[in-house]
Amino acid sequence: MTGNWNDRRFTRRAALKAGAGAGAVLAAGGMGILRSGGSARAAGNGYTGVKGEINLIATDGWISLPDPKNPTKYFPDGYAPNNRTTYLFGFRDVSSMVQAARTATGNPQLIATDVAAIRAQKGKIQASAPLIYVDENDDVTISLSNLGFQQRPDLTDGHTIHWHGFRNALSLFDGIPEMSISVPIGRTFPYFYKPHNPGTYIYHCHFEDVEHVQMGMTGVVFVRPAQNKAPIAGHPGPYAYNDGDGSTAYDREYALLITEWYLQSHWEDAHIQQPDWSEFKADAWFFNGRSYPDTLQPSSGYDANGNPIGFADPRLAYQPISALIKGNAGERVLVRVVNIGYQQHSITLPGLPMKVVGRDATLMRGRDGTDTSYLAETLDIGPGEATDVIITMPEPSGSPYDAYPLFDRNYADGYLTTSGAHAGLRTELRAYPAGTLPAQTTPNA
Amino acid sequence: MTKTLTHARKRLLRWWIAPLLGLALIAGIETTGAPKASGVSVPATGIVCSHPDSNNVFKLTARDGQISTPDDNLVYMWSFAPTGGGFQYPGPVLCLNQGQTVTIVLKNTLPEDTSIVFPGQDNVTSSGVPVSPVYQGGNLVSLAQTAKANGGSVSYTFTAGRPGTYIYESGTDQDKQLDMGLVGALVVRPSMGAAFAYNRSDSAFNPDTEYVMLLSQSDPALHRAVERNQPFDMKAYHARYWFVNGRSFPDTIAPNNAAWLPTQPYSSLVEFQPHSSDPGNPFNKPSLVRYLSTGPVTYPFHPHGNHGRVIARDGQALQGPAGQDLSYEKYTVAVGPGQTADATYTWTDVDGWNPDTKPIPVAIPPLANLLFKDNATWYSGSPYLGYKGPLPVGVTSYNECGEYYFMMHSHALYQITNFGIAGGGMLTLMRVDPPGGC
Repeated sequence: MTGNWNDRRFTRRAALKAGAGAGAVLAAGGMGILRSGGSARAAGNGYTGVKGEINLIATDGWISLPDPKNPTKYFPDGYAPNNRTTYLFGFRDVSSMVQAARTATGNPQLIATDVAAIRAQKGKIQASAPLIYVDENDDVTISLSNLGFQQRPDLTDGHTIHWHGFRNALSLFDGIPEMSISVPIGRTFPYFYKPHNPGTYIYHCHFEDVEHVQMGMTGVVFVRPAQNKAPIAGHPGPYAYNDGDGSTAYDREYALLITEWYLQSHWEDAHIQQPDWSEFKADAWFFNGRSYPDTLQPSSGYDANGNPIGFADPRLAYQPISALIKGNAGERVLVRVVNIGYQQHSITLPGLPMKVVGRDATLMRGRDGTDTSYLAETLDIGPGEATDVIITMPEPSGSPYDAYPLFDRNYADGYLTTSGAHAGLRTELRAYPAGTLPAQTTPNA
Repeated sequence: MTKTLTHARKRLLRWWIAPLLGLALIAGIETTGAPKASGVSVPATGIVCSHPDSNNVFKLTARDGQISTPDDNLVYMWSFAPTGGGFQYPGPVLCLNQGQTVTIVLKNTLPEDTSIVFPGQDNVTSSGVPVSPVYQGGNLVSLAQTAKANGGSVSYTFTAGRPGTYIYESGTDQDKQLDMGLVGALVVRPSMGAAFAYNRSDSAFNPDTEYVMLLSQSDPALHRAVERNQPFDMKAYHARYWFVNGRSFPDTIAPNNAAWLPTQPYSSLVEFQPHSSDPGNPFNKPSLVRYLSTGPVTYPFHPHGNHGRVIARDGQALQGPAGQDLSYEKYTVAVGPGQTADATYTWTDVDGWNPDTKPIPVAIPPLANLLFKDNATWYSGSPYLGYKGPLPVGVTSYNECGEYYFMMHSHALYQITNFGIAGGGMLTLMRVDPPGGC
């Protein structure tokens, strides 16, 4: 135990002040949000022909939820270090650190666990897992290294990557320990994919799945369509799908990953206790590993040594992915709403219609081409499902923007914070006057 | 935590998989155990239809019995059994042809009244009068006329007007009786024939690879209270077991009529070959899975390996007013309480990876450096379909000929547990054999 509850609250206030002056500029190091491909990859690295190599590590760590008005035995966790409340398992992206080490050493075969700065990330996962996006038909390798657990050296669990929804999968790369293999501590395995179907998917560990998914080993992966390279005349891309008519063209894109945590099980895993999974009940809810109002903070990242940078609040140093949605009036904003929790959710955006253009990585079209897209103000979305919606940004009436709340219709899905806010599945969509925001450079930026 | 996989489960896996693989080789094998489809031998996997007798009558008995769960528990159940046959959960799969008029005669040996409702069937009558709710003292006590406790009987008659997948279930004291197990599947074949799910040419499927997956759950505390004739507060209901066709994984993948599951006759192992472009090959057509949920919550059922194409819900083909195709592919099919969904599945060798002509462009580490959980695996040792490779010494392989195995499971992951222990529950497997079979 390295801190207590009161210390943590004090530190949070101090940190908020510090964060305000730090700026939010990301260095070129590892990112919370990750794109595969594009950058040159060292030749002869053992992954011949692979255009995109993504290096992920699996380990454990601590993240922070907004202060509860009514603390319990399990929350915040008494073992939690300063600024943190809750124990997790998870992933981190170390791709740029691997590439930098290969360049620096001149050894293109070097792997993640060779790099001391990467080994030092043991115990420092991020929630949600890195947002990964790749291009249709590209060869993609997600190279997974298992660093083991800092808090639980007694646990020798393996890990896997399951690309949830990948069509016509090969069993070796489907990530089911019983159906193929899992990655033991200290070892690295290349999960290989050639994605042929654009859309929004999920990736998660499938080792002791009910536990490892609950503990946070979950992220969004999406595939950009080939149509981006052959745009439709009159409807400039990018596009969500190979629609043939530009109907899924968008200007900005965001992914929102829904999870909910059974905090007793997180405490039990930290405290070497055995959870009873049939007792599952959620008591905290998240978009991208953040609970409102943390969802509104900007995205951040990690420097060349893997240290968090660019965060507005040090509490969120390991929860780098923002859930705030922004756009200029008239722009089309694509939101990929993904649920990897264990509950059904009803996500609503009052006042703004959402056009459902895809579900489960499938364009809304019948086999005969019938358009099955539809407008909705509420999305009914269950565990393991994804829905892609396009929202046309309205003209704001206020300044500098109009805010539209986007939230779970089940108001009971949350808890009260010390400040009286309702922590949970809630974020905002902010509509700015035309021309206000510069073009988006990465998703969720 | 690795220790969540119990010794008991490991033992079960080893003992049960080997016989399964042996049996699966022999098409049409008859095994000992419960309800025969009119005494006819049944395949190891796939739908097992019960057909009405020559008078178009199904005779069912509501009775009690026990099922076993993979954690070596026994759960007291009520269910519909073929009259004169042994207890089984769920009830027999009733298969009819569109337009067929059928009578179900229900005998009740349970200590309380029960009934059957047929959601999706029109103009159901009981002894010549329309089926209607039953009230006692102003309280709704049943959705249909009942068979009285301890030996009563009732009959229901209807004409199967529309093709599709339907539930039949108790209409009496449903929150208790459905969990107790008084549920079953009803399949109506379209007039276009048994190779179609609906009267649409695009609903053609491979009749050799047709599956029923009835999704349900149970709170054994409720069942114990019923067995002991003790009161149970349904507000205290808390499910501990989740089933596909009345079995929890790994029992789900044991063959139909497995001798060691005498009251749980239905397998849910899906087995097919890659899609063939040859119209003469049966795998030119997809496999069909008929999902039904009789539980009180929505089950988000997720097949690995490939999307399913949902072609119908609640016995209604997904089509527009002019016959437009409104079917859709999904990687998770949410099946809500009382709903059904029909989905087709294929697996296609899209990239044609081959160890000699088109190797996968990554270097696979030596398998001895990877983890085979519990020293057992369904993996063949080779990433290529139809190939086998060496496995580390001491690892038991369940693989037969280089086939692939994929999970199909509820993604509310606490439901793929057996009383809180991971690696069970509402989970089954999809097996993709090499072209031509094993």
